[in-house]
Amino acid sequence: MSLDNLTRRRMLGLGLGALVLTGCGGGGGPRQAAQQTTASTAAPTTYTGPAVSLAFWNGFTGGDGPFMKRLVEQFNAAHPTIKVTMNVYQWADYYAKVPAAVAAGQGPDLGIMHVDSVATNAARQVVLPLDDVAKALNLSEADFSPPVWQAGVYKGARYAIPLDVHPLGMFYNKTVLSKAGLDPDNPPKTGEEYLAALEELKKAGIQGHWATPFPFTGNMQFGSLLYQHGGQLFADDASVSRFAEEPGVQALTWLVELINKGYSPKNVGQDADFIALQNGKAAFNWNGIWSINTLRGVKNLEWGVAPLPQIGTEPAAWAGSHQFVIFKQRKPDQNKLTAAKVFINWISGHSIEWAKAGQVPARKSIRDGAEFQALKEQAAIGSQIDNLYFLPSVAGIGDASAVVDQAINAAILLKKSPKDALTEAAAKADKILEQNRKKYGA
Amino acid sequence: MRRYTVLVALAVVFVAPLLWALGTSLKSQTEATRVPPTVWPAEPTARAYGTLFEGTTQTPVLRWFANSLIAATGQMILVLVVSSLAAYALARLEFRGKRVMFGVIVGTLLVPGFVFLIPSFLIVDALGWLDSLTVLIVPGAAGAFGVFFLRQFFLGLPRELDEAALIEGANHWHIFLRITLPLSKPALATLAVLSFLSNWNDFIWPIFVIFSPDYFTLPPGLSILQGAYTIDYPVIMAGAVLASVPVLILFALTQRYVIEGISRSGLKG
Amino acid sequence: MATLTAKAGTARATTPVAWSGRATPYLFMAPYLVLFGVFVLAPAIYGLWVSLHDWDFLLEGRPFVGLDNYTALFDPASAVYGDFWMSMRATGVFTLLSVPFLVVLPLGVALLLNRPFRGRTFFRGLFFAPYVLGVAVVCLMWRLLLDPNLGLVDWLLGTDIAWTTSLPWGWVALVGVTVWWTLGFNGVIYLAGMQDIPRELYDAAKVDGAGRWAEFRHVTLPGLRPVMLFVVTTTILASANMFGQSYLLTQGAPGGETRTAIVYILQQGLAQYKMGSASAMSYVLTLALIVVSVINFRLFRGRS
Repeated sequence: MSLDNLTRRRMLGLGLGALVLTGCGGGGGPRQAAQQTTASTAAPTTYTGPAVSLAFWNGFTGGDGPFMKRLVEQFNAAHPTIKVTMNVYQWADYYAKVPAAVAAGQGPDLGIMHVDSVATNAARQVVLPLDDVAKALNLSEADFSPPVWQAGVYKGARYAIPLDVHPLGMFYNKTVLSKAGLDPDNPPKTGEEYLAALEELKKAGIQGHWATPFPFTGNMQFGSLLYQHGGQLFADDASVSRFAEEPGVQALTWLVELINKGYSPKNVGQDADFIALQNGKAAFNWNGIWSINTLRGVKNLEWGVAPLPQIGTEPAAWAGSHQFVIFKQRKPDQNKLTAAKVFINWISGHSIEWAKAGQVPARKSIRDGAEFQALKEQAAIGSQIDNLYFLPSVAGIGDASAVVDQAINAAILLKKSPKDALTEAAAKADKILEQNRKKYGA
Repeated sequence: MRRYTVLVALAVVFVAPLLWALGTSLKSQTEATRVPPTVWPAEPTARAYGTLFEGTTQTPVLRWFANSLIAATGQMILVLVVSSLAAYALARLEFRGKRVMFGVIVGTLLVPGFVFLIPSFLIVDALGWLDSLTVLIVPGAAGAFGVFFLRQFFLGLPRELDEAALIEGANHWHIFLRITLPLSKPALATLAVLSFLSNWNDFIWPIFVIFSPDYFTLPPGLSILQGAYTIDYPVIMAGAVLASVPVLILFALTQRYVIEGISRSGLKG
Repeated sequence: MATLTAKAGTARATTPVAWSGRATPYLFMAPYLVLFGVFVLAPAIYGLWVSLHDWDFLLEGRPFVGLDNYTALFDPASAVYGDFWMSMRATGVFTLLSVPFLVVLPLGVALLLNRPFRGRTFFRGLFFAPYVLGVAVVCLMWRLLLDPNLGLVDWLLGTDIAWTTSLPWGWVALVGVTVWWTLGFNGVIYLAGMQDIPRELYDAAKVDGAGRWAEFRHVTLPGLRPVMLFVVTTTILASANMFGQSYLLTQGAPGGETRTAIVYILQQGLAQYKMGSASAMSYVLTLALIVVSVINFRLFRGRS
């Protein structure tokens, strides 16, 4: 599994089920993916058939759940002949449960997947191609943003319609910045400014940026820095890994240097970096946009959020994306498929409500609207939309990405040099990529 | 007196983290992650328990609780019945293939659980048991633990009683019911608690075989409530407190049998 | 002897004729064997079959690969070699470190709790209580308590120890938390076993003037032998199968050195869907455990 899976599915959490998620193995074996398609000529925005009910599964167990639930209720109220029932599971459990349910012919009608799980689930025949949905709904790249839209395509077919984008941002504790004599309303934007601020904080006795060795969010920080230095984690076609090249080494070295220079404590535990931000032990924490609602709930905390500072030669940030998918059924029901399209289109069109849950809407028209711009924090993080990176849409890419986690862990815990850790990991990742090519077909 | 000193010292080490967990269930999320940490809640709140018992259709906690009780009790009874019968044969009777059978049964304890997972899933699917309480009760009762456990205990029982009974014309069914089982109350009570617990805390199997929230047990259910992006410690600890109560009650009830065993040991003279 | 006759007498009164035919043992075994065959034996054999394939239950193509999944584990150039053996090493280290504590400490506690005294049930419950918690709760709780920079434990001790991210402290934390969590498990098994030891033997020992230690060596330990065999065997297996603590408490840190074999197997099988390879790994681990268990059984037999 890739970074996104790791985080949102909370490998940190109770989910031992999260073991299950660590990979996105997948990849459509030799079987023809399109045994069943969603082809239909029905109009996309209205549903005129007999009353249907749709099972909609997702992993919105956090503060985002109630927002989606409200949207579903509104949809049901507006569409008397369609009844959508939403079930939520821990993401980790969800990614294990859904393939099992689909295999047993008891899968839901539609659901949400993180973008880096789409290829694997497409390859494993869990989700259906949606090209005709996109066509029927008149959706195209221009309605979203190119990388987000392209990320849902696997082997030339579209399997997912984007709902949102959730990038990494730089959260900061204003009180701590003030204490070190820094301007709380003008956080650092460049590498020099960032290091200068950390130096000031150090003088004030504060370790400003706690470098976490764990994937959540250490891997996202590493990836962001790597792309900022002009690198790539994998070749575009995922034929080989590229994270051990110079940009990767620079990125990881920068993180390790935070510790060596005393800007970060050693041996940071899981979540300690985020807790430290809330407790005024740290000034900065690079974390996902979903943290907005968490931080709002913390009493007496003065905080802000900005795009990641540009440490390398170009701006870049990690992002995940929630996407709609339709699940394979033993007996496809055209009415349900049509109703599902209506639902996807309606929610997508109302995703400003979803943005309030701490997300950036994937739909460009909504992102550019005044209503979204008024969501100060979301808009700040959302401004990075053109500089986001996603993993190649290849089945099993997460397996190779998990290897990177281990290298980052070893380097940030000062067990291996960044270069050695990454080089060893790259050799391993290349073997895994080759294995997966064989398994899923190149 | 020395016994008390040692016990109390040990008890403090054992109980302190539990009290901390109980305290955390009464903290706000902010206080739960405060640095330096508070040992006991400074501003107690029942918010976490409120979250547990809001009881929306999405999170019917009491229903999960009932499912857990049914599944764990059902499996416990099944384990006690089938394991004690098999263990009696393995400990007391002579028959062809006994050693091989025992070897194979205990041998499967050496195989990691992963191996069984997917094949078992395919089997329960074929049986049409997916998404039901049956699937939470029956397959898990097939484990070798109970048989191995009771066989070892039955081996330790004095044979003189059985032999005398046989001479008097009793059959094995009666020896099993009237002699072996009553003498094994401590072992049976212990197995009851351990088997109840293993089902009560199981979380991997339900993920694969239960799809509707209506059939969830507590572990997968509570994980829905724990928060998605940050760990909601108070809710997790409140869930743990809730889940502990029935098991502790069961433990207290069964301890009576374990203690009773002592007074009965005179029987074995 | 009086009791004996009474017992037997009752039995005779109710059933004069025994049905102790040849079928009896099999009838006793039958209910369990049905369950065992369907839900344990069949899956275990199926797992062997799976281990000979490049196998994913959702893919139609599941090519037969012979012993490739096994040979890859012994081929230093394969993708799995390094990680698999590192995880086997972690499992070995954890088993070696944890089993002595998990066998001896609960025995000590059970001895303390076996004699009648006020509050005995309360203390028993207390030592058993941590085991009531699920592994996830235990690990999340200790991860917070043991946090290297923010945790209560370091704060109370006034130390600066990285319990969850460095070695050897990671092992101390893993073993310590496991002992805290599961001491009650073996404890109640020992307690149940002690009830099987006839009190007369203790009385006799007293008459012979045996001290506490002699009593323990010559009465308690021999009386517990079958139970000890059970405890040692299952504790080794439990430690060798440890995964929750490794996955949640240390998350394999640093650099995968505390990632156990089971964590790696689950990641391969359930996260990367390489179920054939994961099954092969499982069986290699099984093989190692067979060797250990045979030695264990021999040792116990030798002693008797």
